[in-house]
Amino acid sequence: MQKKHYFDIKWAVILVIVAFLLVFQVFPLLYLVYRSFFSTGKFSLEGFSRIYTYEMNWSCLKNTIITAGFAMIFGVILAFPLAWLVGRTNLYGKKFFRFLFVTTYMVPPYVGAMAWLRLLNPKVGTLNVFIKNLLHLSENPFNIYSIWGLVWVLTTFYYPYAFITISRAMEKMDPSLEEASRISGASPLKTLFTVTLPLMMPSIVAAALLVFVAAASCYGIPSIIGAPGQLYTVTTRIMDYVSVGSQQGLTDATVLAVFLMAIALLVLYISNFVVGKKDYITVSGKSTRPNIVDLGKWRIPITILVSIFALIVVIIPFATVFMTSFTTNMGKSLFAPGNFTLKFWNTALTRKSILGSTKNSVISAVWAATLGMIVCLVMAYLLKRTNVKGKAVPDFLITVGSGTPSVVIALALIMTMSGRFGVNIYNTIFIMIVAYMIKYMLMGMRTVVSAFSQVSPSLEEAAQISGAGWLRRLKDVLFPLIIPSIVAGWFLIFMPCFYELTMSNLLYSTDTKTLGVELFTYQTYHSQQTASALAGGILIMVIGLNVILDKVTKGKFSI
Amino acid sequence: MKKLTAVAMSFIMAASLVACGGGGSSSGSSATEAEKTTAAAETAEAAGETEAAETPDEGGASAEDVTGKVVIYTSMYEDIIAMVDEKLEEVFPNADIEFFYGGTGTLQSKVAAEIDAAGDSGKLGCDMLMVAEPAYSLELKEMGLLHAYDYAEKDKLLFDYDEEGYWYPVRVCNMVLAYNPEMYSKEELPTNFKDFATDENLKGYVSMGNPLTSGTSYAAIVALQDAYGDEYFAQLGSQETAVESGSVALTKLETGECKEIMILEESVLKKREEEGSLLEVIYPDDGTIAIPSTIMTIDEAKSANENIAACEAITDWFLSPEGQEYIVAGWMHSVRSDFDQAPYDALPTAEILKNTMPVDWERCFREREEIRTLFQENVTVPEG
Repeated sequence: MQKKHYFDIKWAVILVIVAFLLVFQVFPLLYLVYRSFFSTGKFSLEGFSRIYTYEMNWSCLKNTIITAGFAMIFGVILAFPLAWLVGRTNLYGKKFFRFLFVTTYMVPPYVGAMAWLRLLNPKVGTLNVFIKNLLHLSENPFNIYSIWGLVWVLTTFYYPYAFITISRAMEKMDPSLEEASRISGASPLKTLFTVTLPLMMPSIVAAALLVFVAAASCYGIPSIIGAPGQLYTVTTRIMDYVSVGSQQGLTDATVLAVFLMAIALLVLYISNFVVGKKDYITVSGKSTRPNIVDLGKWRIPITILVSIFALIVVIIPFATVFMTSFTTNMGKSLFAPGNFTLKFWNTALTRKSILGSTKNSVISAVWAATLGMIVCLVMAYLLKRTNVKGKAVPDFLITVGSGTPSVVIALALIMTMSGRFGVNIYNTIFIMIVAYMIKYMLMGMRTVVSAFSQVSPSLEEAAQISGAGWLRRLKDVLFPLIIPSIVAGWFLIFMPCFYELTMSNLLYSTDTKTLGVELFTYQTYHSQQTASALAGGILIMVIGLNVILDKVTKGKFSI
Repeated sequence: MKKLTAVAMSFIMAASLVACGGGGSSSGSSATEAEKTTAAAETAEAAGETEAAETPDEGGASAEDVTGKVVIYTSMYEDIIAMVDEKLEEVFPNADIEFFYGGTGTLQSKVAAEIDAAGDSGKLGCDMLMVAEPAYSLELKEMGLLHAYDYAEKDKLLFDYDEEGYWYPVRVCNMVLAYNPEMYSKEELPTNFKDFATDENLKGYVSMGNPLTSGTSYAAIVALQDAYGDEYFAQLGSQETAVESGSVALTKLETGECKEIMILEESVLKKREEEGSLLEVIYPDDGTIAIPSTIMTIDEAKSANENIAACEAITDWFLSPEGQEYIVAGWMHSVRSDFDQAPYDALPTAEILKNTMPVDWERCFREREEIRTLFQENVTVPEG
């Protein structure tokens, strides 16, 4: 009797969550695909031929693939050595660097676009002019409004995805394999290339694809950097179609969106193929202290190199945002008489609508992260602790959701969740929460799954033998062991939801405007300085949150 | 471990509490904001009241009779909405009027998605629209989404309105040129739209709004196409015109990244008044493009709150001299012929109207796809 009872609870919970994924994710996305073929009620390829025979759309597709592709390559090229240096060597100040790189993940990417626009615009970009004068060049060296400018900003803002993923894998790698290589006479460098790197391959591929999908589905950066340089990507193009404001525009947008979805699925398929085939078991679960590589005489030069990187990629753009927020006339120096002002900060911190939006963002992000982590936990349990057929399906769905471009998710939800099929959550905060969960659960899922694989089932079995039910085992055995991962995962979901722009921009309504929307509206319509103050405020909050968390939990819970 | 969990949980709770508290404690600061806005609106009020006294409400129903909820989608500046919102609370104390702000493109796509989702029987999320230009009104009227209302003083309107009363102009935005006198002198810059697209000295130093997402920019390119032919788009393209949002363009004007931009007069005036900016408007000598923005009421069956009486009263108020005061305070021009005041630092409305470039609204609506495509192919993404 007893046995039967707790099995019921387990399966009930799992079923509820699978149903949730089916209703709120699978169904809307399938409907979107359906609609792109049946926009007039009958099957027709007319939409497809119109959209895909239009040459300009092809240039957008090309731009998306090129920029996301290079952002992926450069992102991994940056992230791997950084993760290794910070995680496995005696680099000076590695904790500080880790903090800096992870901070970038917590900052809205379009804020970076704003900063780079100021720094590297081809006419009067601050950094451009500085370098020109420094090297006595005849003209400004960089042009941010170019495909390489786009690649640069995308890379500097999406490499943290790879950094976090690779770091985590590196931390759980079994160091005895490297030790074996060293004992057998290999140099540290040789060990790195013949042992560490191959072992890390699955994580690197996963990280690369994460960067690719994030960069390909990003809207803020291309809309700010790309548009003035006449560079359009699929996402900006979809938004153009959407903002036609007509029914046909909506159809055209969905047709184009289907292509992005196809790319995302293809990418996921490849990643599963590569990663799935080579899943080394490198985590013993016992030794979790990886050995530290001594950089020797390279310790100082490499530290300097990493500092320069951090200065260019993290500190200068953030400083630019702060300076902008205090400047009245952007044509003059911040220190010119009368040009320093606090009024933009005043607006950002006191305007009623901004405060309301902040509240909405906190509420929806807290909900998305909390519900998201519940889903992740249960699904990770299903994946790692049961032998059900198709147990990997929810994991795959979560991955698909994350790989689907934000615009696509938003459109699909609007079309299916506004009453036509019996569910009406449009214009409520729930539609945002659902959208955030679909898009960002993956980072949480990955964290929890890797935590599960580190905990031996024998502990739970012991509890079970002692008579503990399923819920009790979760509560008393499993959760306490993986709590740090749960908290980290929670924050990895919370942060991007907190400043989310692309989906919120389509889903918000009278009382559900969010901070991301507010920031983007100020940046594009009202005042860039207010937008900068707002971004600065978010930055301070995020850093403060992370520092406090780190202090309170003695380093266990920072991300 | 339990302790750790407790700490983490309490931290999360605290974080959300802080944010909620932020919302709550805003009352203090919003009071100061309110004071400011009231002060700004005081002059408006004074003038409005005397006008109102002269022309008593003809409808007979007093403002107290207006009740219920009304949701208005609008693209007016948020500061202005805050002012209007407060005033309306005073004028219609028993009604609950809610504004939803968004850019024109955002609102149009929102309405489109709502129409799509609503099907034949459903409702939209709003009762009134104060967004975009007459072309959009023509479209909504044709879709049967609007309610017809006979405005008593329509003979006082300076701009086209719908004969059947489906829409009225409520505010006027002017597409003009702007430059930064601290960087370049007016003498070396073009003073009309024609030269804006052809002057060699400006190549790579010009910017304009995006007609794909902004209704006013779209109206402007239709007018310019009528005036100068398709060639004008090609010229904008070879001029390397950056297509971007107004606030980005104004910053570029300040930093010198742009020499001259095509922009709405109101955004320059706003910057001058609020930030003491020295950026200047050039009223093009080939004609300012005056773009009325309309006020519309959604058909009762489709409207969110089915509150037609209140919508009509609100329409009356916005079109009245008192309502127009707020439009002008928002750096836009009034639509009434008996209203003299111009926005801060602007040329008087009558002066501007002496030299305008006409916009063919019917064509804006009917040929939208063709015009947008032509513009895109020439300007947004040129060959190569």
